[in-house]
Amino acid sequence: MESRDGRAGAVFVALADPTRRRVVDKLAVDGPLTGTELAGRLPVSRQAVAKHLAALETAGLVTARRSGREARYALRTAPLAQAEAWMAAIGAA
Amino acid sequence: MTNMDTVETIQRDVTVNADPARAFRLFTAGIGSWWPTKTHSLAAEEEHAVRSVVFEERTGGRVYEVAADGTEDTWATVLAWEPPTRLVLAWKPSHRDDPPTEVEVRFSPAGSGTRVDLEHRGWERLGADAAERAESYPDGWVLVLGRFAAAVAER
Repeated sequence: MESRDGRAGAVFVALADPTRRRVVDKLAVDGPLTGTELAGRLPVSRQAVAKHLAALETAGLVTARRSGREARYALRTAPLAQAEAWMAAIGAA
Repeated sequence: MTNMDTVETIQRDVTVNADPARAFRLFTAGIGSWWPTKTHSLAAEEEHAVRSVVFEERTGGRVYEVAADGTEDTWATVLAWEPPTRLVLAWKPSHRDDPPTEVEVRFSPAGSGTRVDLEHRGWERLGADAAERAESYPDGWVLVLGRFAAAVAER
């Protein structure tokens, strides 16, 4: 992992999976969604969506907020900015 | 065992925004506040929730998760306890009959923060199962250390 900002590494690991990138796409375009709503908009099961959301949450890319019986997931862009800054720094070197 | 079965030592590092004493304390005593149990715990494998993670701060102490129903599952035993610079764990977070591997974590000053170096070794003890058991760790430690760095930054 790069030492400059270890959090960027977690972003790259989380986004290495194509389904997780689609989840991020959906949340970016449609705004906060529940796992059930996401499963309805992507060709993956509710259970698979839950696992991908947990991985994105570990990487800090989504936050969960309880709303009624189900959690609603929102995109967090701060870690993306950190990863981008790291790439920009390397690109400029 | 042939060379092809040998898994190399996994080395990962992260630099966090806290002095070594604080980083060490958060990594150990504070483990329950940042460890990503939703993705990295025994309960998560069975889709149960984890209530807490406990790190017993002494040589011979245990690191264990407590599931929502109170079930305790041991992840590791502390082999070396040297705050605030180093700790070594006998690592076996599973219900299998495997021998433990070894995880060493070192904390050293880096500018105004701390560099945390993690080394996961001893895969040869798992014989032919090593590659399969090790599979999730190269990425897994990146996620776990990333979560740790974020948790330190949020305080």
